[in-house]
Amino acid sequence: METIISVTNLVNRFGTQLVHDRLCLDVQRDEILGLVGGSGSGKSVLMRSILGLQKPRSGTITVLGQQIKYHKPGPSRCWGVLFQGGALLSGLTVQQNVELPIALYSDMPVETRHELASLKLLMTGLSLSVADKYPSELSGGMRKRVALARALALEPKILFLDEPTAGLDPIAATEFDDLITYLHDNLDLTIMMITHDVDSLFGICDRIAVLVDGGVVVGSVDEIMKSDHPWIKGYFGVQRAQRARLVIRETRHEY
Amino acid sequence: MFSDGIMNEAFLNIESQPGKLVVSVKGRWIFDKVLALEEATATVLPEPGQVVIFKCAGLEEIDIAGAWVLYDRTEQLSELGIKSEMTGFKAAHFKFLQNIIDAAAIREYEEPSEFPERPKIVRQTVEQLGRATATHVEDLGQIARSILDGMRKPSLIMVGETIKQVYYTGVQAIPVVVVITFLIGIVTVHQAAGQLEKFGATVLVVDLVSISITREMGVLLAAIMVAGRSGSAFAAALGVMKLNEEVDAMRVLGLNPNQMLIIPRILGLVIALPMLTIFADVAGIAGGALIAVGTMGISGLQFIERVAFSTDLTDFYVGLSKAPVFALLIAVVGTLRGMQVMSSAEELGIKTTTAVVQSIFMIIVADALFATLFTRLGI
Repeated sequence: METIISVTNLVNRFGTQLVHDRLCLDVQRDEILGLVGGSGSGKSVLMRSILGLQKPRSGTITVLGQQIKYHKPGPSRCWGVLFQGGALLSGLTVQQNVELPIALYSDMPVETRHELASLKLLMTGLSLSVADKYPSELSGGMRKRVALARALALEPKILFLDEPTAGLDPIAATEFDDLITYLHDNLDLTIMMITHDVDSLFGICDRIAVLVDGGVVVGSVDEIMKSDHPWIKGYFGVQRAQRARLVIRETRHEY
Repeated sequence: MFSDGIMNEAFLNIESQPGKLVVSVKGRWIFDKVLALEEATATVLPEPGQVVIFKCAGLEEIDIAGAWVLYDRTEQLSELGIKSEMTGFKAAHFKFLQNIIDAAAIREYEEPSEFPERPKIVRQTVEQLGRATATHVEDLGQIARSILDGMRKPSLIMVGETIKQVYYTGVQAIPVVVVITFLIGIVTVHQAAGQLEKFGATVLVVDLVSISITREMGVLLAAIMVAGRSGSAFAAALGVMKLNEEVDAMRVLGLNPNQMLIIPRILGLVIALPMLTIFADVAGIAGGALIAVGTMGISGLQFIERVAFSTDLTDFYVGLSKAPVFALLIAVVGTLRGMQVMSSAEELGIKTTTAVVQSIFMIIVADALFATLFTRLGI
């Protein structure tokens, strides 16, 4: 197993609140890691630290062998990020949004760039009729797909997803989960996703990392379910979660 | 173009056999190499009747972009009526790509046509004029509607909001307005002294500075400062609220955004600007006094006497009477532009700029109209 992301002894503190207390986490190549935790447990802070958007108190973070420094260019060529609200550039059309990273990192001719961007839009299940629209003209689900297309524009090795299914209806959420699985199966992708969607957690994640008490508990779905930690028990013990698990288990076999 | 054998050999080996062209694909077909790959695949030129066979067993790495280049070439060839085959393809990418493309045809990139047909100049001008007029009439209507809408059923919340606006736009602006007019007072006296000295009428600088500050400069400087400070703040604040759907949220909650956002800003500024003008007048004359008394041998008492003699309350009221009008212009333009933000952050920037530029422009136009009016009236 090759370690793609390695977080060692990460400490994050806001005022008196200790968010991460010497947190260690390794993400393996080709896995889908789900990140869960209560509000304020530091899921987003962890992801932002890995992306170099947040300055940790101490600790080292390496992504693809490169050490991450705050606000210094990281391996941005090798990762794609889907922010929670999509974070599409509102002044550019959908097509331009997806083309932007390609234009930044490559000298390919306009036509090829255009075709590749269209391809990414198709990959995320969008029709090309949206290409000339502005983000404000799209629905929330479509905006997320466009943001995913932009995240995939540079053929990244790692994909960070921040609550990809939040704000989507159950059908759209399932579709989005299927899309992520589909892309993961077909591309050489390591995915780290923050999610609160139990369906996503059980349905598509290989391992789950639960942020509790400033640290992290990592394991496969079954391992996590057996944990004695009160918060984890509370979170996964919910009947709804159990039911979702059964349903997902059954339906997934059909694929 | 490119040198055969260098770019080419890294990715392709072409071997012509009777009836078929065997292309061994090798190396790393990845995103970073797309330009070179396109040039390489362009050299796959079969003779008529030849079938192209891509042997992909030697491929080290391929991603979507690389697969796309290969796929694109086979498409181009099939358009020319040439068949192509793939053998030894290990990666799943190609099938993946095929699935996606089957789902929807990729549209061709259209070069934007360089010389769109231009309408006749006259027609263009008339069109522009018409459009501009329509926009302005629309703006005027929108303002009138929101003001009238905001004035219906006035509530107590408006009072609080208005007081807040007076504080932000007025009280907080006092230091900067005072400093600026003080400095302008200094500049005016310096400039005028040089000229008036030639006529031996140095003492008239006092008349000049006190009249010009009270009638024109005080209110104008305060208004321009406020347009820059608060006009932009109005447009930006309301624009962001529109983008965040806060304005919609207010409507749904049963609050009237015109009443909550627009009216207090207009009222607040109409109250604040006249007060700022008084500060500006005093500071401007004080600036003049500093130089006149300090460097030109006019005594303090003489200065005050001269001000009292030359400037009466009418001059002061003339300046002050313009302040509410300027305030109205600034507030109306600022809030209107803010409310017109619809979709993007870029639009927000454009509207904010427009708000400031238009309000300053309108202040100066209004000032010119006032000057003409007051001269005609003999005030």
